[in-house]
Amino acid sequence: MEQTIIKYIETELASDDIEDGLEASDDLLGSGILDSLGMVKLISFVEEAFEIIVPPEDMVIENFMTVENICEYVNTKL
Amino acid sequence: MIYNLVQIIENSARDFPDKESFRFLNEAITFKGLDVKSSQLASRLIKLGVKKGDRVGILMPRCLETAIAVYGILKSGAAYVPIDPFVPIERANFLIENCGIKYLITIPKQFKKIKKLLSEKNNLESIIGVSEIDTIKSFSWEAIFNSSLENYKPVNILGEDLSYILYTSGSTGTPKGIMHTHNSALAFTELVVNLYGFNSADKVANVAPLHFDPSILGYFSAPLAGATTIIISDAHLKFPVSLAELMEKEQLTIWFSVPLILVQLLLNGGIDRKDFSSLRWVLFSGEVFATKQLRALMQLWPHPEYSNIYGPTELNQCTNYNLSVPPEGGDTIPIGKPWGNTEYKILDVNDNEVNEGEEGLLVVRSATMMKGYWNNKPLTEKSLYIDEIAPGFDSVYYRTGDLVRLNDKKELLFLGRKDRQIKFRGFRIEIDEIENTLLKHEVVIEAAVFLSNIDDDQQLFATVLLSENSEIPTMNLKAHCKQYLPPYAVPERIEILEYFPRTSSGKVNRKDIEKIIRLL
Repeated sequence: MEQTIIKYIETELASDDIEDGLEASDDLLGSGILDSLGMVKLISFVEEAFEIIVPPEDMVIENFMTVENICEYVNTKL
Repeated sequence: MIYNLVQIIENSARDFPDKESFRFLNEAITFKGLDVKSSQLASRLIKLGVKKGDRVGILMPRCLETAIAVYGILKSGAAYVPIDPFVPIERANFLIENCGIKYLITIPKQFKKIKKLLSEKNNLESIIGVSEIDTIKSFSWEAIFNSSLENYKPVNILGEDLSYILYTSGSTGTPKGIMHTHNSALAFTELVVNLYGFNSADKVANVAPLHFDPSILGYFSAPLAGATTIIISDAHLKFPVSLAELMEKEQLTIWFSVPLILVQLLLNGGIDRKDFSSLRWVLFSGEVFATKQLRALMQLWPHPEYSNIYGPTELNQCTNYNLSVPPEGGDTIPIGKPWGNTEYKILDVNDNEVNEGEEGLLVVRSATMMKGYWNNKPLTEKSLYIDEIAPGFDSVYYRTGDLVRLNDKKELLFLGRKDRQIKFRGFRIEIDEIENTLLKHEVVIEAAVFLSNIDDDQQLFATVLLSENSEIPTMNLKAHCKQYLPPYAVPERIEILEYFPRTSSGKVNRKDIEKIIRLL
């Protein structure tokens, strides 16, 4: 799961910032790796790829700060 | 008497030494702490050779160090130049070269970006905020904060000295640097404190990034009043639910942002379940706040007062319109009246004043006005309207390029940008008028209209965002437009999008929308 998300971010959403590779613990939000639009796309991707629905109240920093956080969150929904 | 921005922090450090001046997530700095640390930074900059008139760059996302950088640079006598850390390297480097920046202040998290900038062609000499760079002089924050202030001599800063340069995003091509003096910034800072009654009990949200002019309110007006500025993080702005939690937790009293963020809070923040009773002013600027959304927000939050603030970066801001009850109907709310030390004229294309109530271009004269565009006197001159009111004495106005007219209460109505008025098949069309018409429809929450060359033919094209869980055939939206607009102004194609691309200041990026449309 971790690799699927990292690969999606690197290939579809990456700005020039992560050419040396994205770590699962990298801050996606404060570092400029993703802009608002990127986050919208990432959430849609996660919903489709893992067949879950992310309700608005779950769209919070703690769930989407890092790839690790996203995996933890997705696992609670599976 | 206070005549420069540095005195703001010196005075508040004397009057409120142990009070929090700035807070970012779990970190905070007191007024005393900020005064000392900014002096330590200034001392280092002076030792490096920084002098009056120099420009020092700030390459940082929203963070606590921004406050130290701003005041440290000002104390050194230099002007600060914010660089958006989220723009591509080429653009950041353009700014560094264009503005002749030799010194850059940053934070360790920007290390990779700094490395890249150093491999580009520019005149950077020193970096503060990251160490471990061997190709250039660099200093860690730790080294700065451990330095002694024994030999530090404060610089004598006058009101007419340069204080900051803000580069506009440059919708018309090359970005231009807008130069403000301590005087023009301080005039704005003090006006805000007086108009909205800022005091030392206030907690003021700073939402804007440093390179966007609303940050002047958070970085200067709040400290002038001894209030605490809460710097909202980049992460919070991407998650309305988290943002609403933060607002509640911090018990914010004054909010200032583009309408977009308030709309996101309204639509997705779950704000009906939270306590915002501490809020006393909700200020917004930068874009038109769609009346129906403002009404919805004011119905949810009835207790604070609201203020629509208008003004291009060249003027800081210049008019405001306050509301304490929700606006009725579908008309766009006025931008109101000029605030203190400000006057205006409404001119036709030949620079003659229009008759009262007629549409024309707004020119403004104010104490908050810029000094000019960085290294571009011809552009500065072009942007000014000179009125010789006595022999040898000129009144100088800034040409906003905005179309306005007065309503019967003598309040200014914003009608759109001069450059957003287009000629299409011989007709003069106001893009803003079409967008406002679409917004009158109950399911439309945002609209962006433009002329496009898709299919080799010029087309008037509209894209809209709909409110959650609503659907509508675009035919019906067209029919809605036909009710209000002349036939030639009805968009030929309307597309419903799921999101709009935005600029870093939160404005809709029409160029990128066009790219999306081409892919459809």
